[in-house]
Amino acid sequence: MADGQEKEISIRDRKSPTANGGTLRIWLPAILLMVVAITQVLLSKTAELSPWKGGGFGMFATTDGTAFRRVRIFVEAAGRSEELEIAPSQEFSAARAQLFPSDRMLGGLARAVAGREERYGRPVQIVRIEVWRTEFSPVSLDATERPLRVFDWHVDQALHISRQ
Amino acid sequence: MGHWSVRAMTLVLAGLTLVFPRVLRAPAAWYGLALLISIRIIADWPVPDNHIYLLAYWCLALALALGARDADRVLMRSSCLLIGFAFLMAFVWKAALSPDYLDGRFFQVTLITDPRFENATKLLGGLTAQQLDQSRQHLQPLPEGAELLDDSEFDEPQAFKRLASVSTWGLLIVEGLIAFVFLVPLRGRGVALRHIFLLLFCVVTYAFAPVAGFGWLLLTMGVALCEPGHRWLRSGYVAAWCLVLLYDEVPWSWLMVKWLAKA
Repeated sequence: MADGQEKEISIRDRKSPTANGGTLRIWLPAILLMVVAITQVLLSKTAELSPWKGGGFGMFATTDGTAFRRVRIFVEAAGRSEELEIAPSQEFSAARAQLFPSDRMLGGLARAVAGREERYGRPVQIVRIEVWRTEFSPVSLDATERPLRVFDWHVDQALHISRQ
Repeated sequence: MGHWSVRAMTLVLAGLTLVFPRVLRAPAAWYGLALLISIRIIADWPVPDNHIYLLAYWCLALALALGARDADRVLMRSSCLLIGFAFLMAFVWKAALSPDYLDGRFFQVTLITDPRFENATKLLGGLTAQQLDQSRQHLQPLPEGAELLDDSEFDEPQAFKRLASVSTWGLLIVEGLIAFVFLVPLRGRGVALRHIFLLLFCVVTYAFAPVAGFGWLLLTMGVALCEPGHRWLRSGYVAAWCLVLLYDEVPWSWLMVKWLAKA
């Protein structure tokens, strides 16, 4: 910006920044930030949202991020019970479920898995999604995994059962 | 990230602001960018990183400021509040909400397991490549009920413990200081503390933390805090911006490790 333009903007009509609705103009973005951040904290503490995400600025504060959560997918049908690798087309859905293992996120992933199995002609009656988290003990840093959510999707009944 | 249509519109609108000064100063352009970024956040939630949220708030702040009579002052105060509250939340997470930050677990685990910190860990933490591999093995979770046949103790060198401790408390203190100086009304020379702490944070942190986009955004917001006559300060922010770019492109820690190994 040229010097002349700078002076024009800075000196021209130098009223209080709170005029012309300035207070709201100044505070609105910050208010939105805090509303989203507080919501993120609540979801992290009550619904297993990863502190690294969701707009709460909790990254680099805890090991509970993408590096130490994982999703496991199992399918069951008559004569079939196996764990599946996460298909490339399902990676984004899996990432969302990993970070926020809600019924909606897990159900979306389960439906995608069931749909893919059916497209390939493989029988599926139940899709089980497990979200696991690795935790480290103080001092010794011994690592243990614990399940955050276990979600069963019954394909023919469109019924889901979830456990925490 | 984000749907291709949102990405395309964002790029087009951002490009227009670069090419046409009238678009750059039009509140509608920035409202548009804020909206597009928000759509991306909502559509991809919760995957987007936190600096994408801050980018959306910043675009909104620009739109609101450009519609005000004293755009400079409004933007300056808005930038102050956004930086202050973002760092306040970062501080609160580390100091009060996280169960594994203050005792050093976060940095001990991250410095060992995150490959992006590997060279810094070797350089400053005194771990050899073999020790790093052994430490990573130790941090692998075992199946329930299993025990290692040879459970060697997790014994880190003192340099590593110091690195983890300095990182833990250094980051906490700096983030707390930044939140304080940006949210408390300061006058006169006290305002300089904001620039000092923000520049210090960006120059040090982004040498190690691989989130250059966050650094660039904070530095851009810092430029908005500069008074019109403070050319040297603005140049400092631009220089820091370029430094963060170099951090992102030049594997400086890997080069240092190699050089020290040869020496």
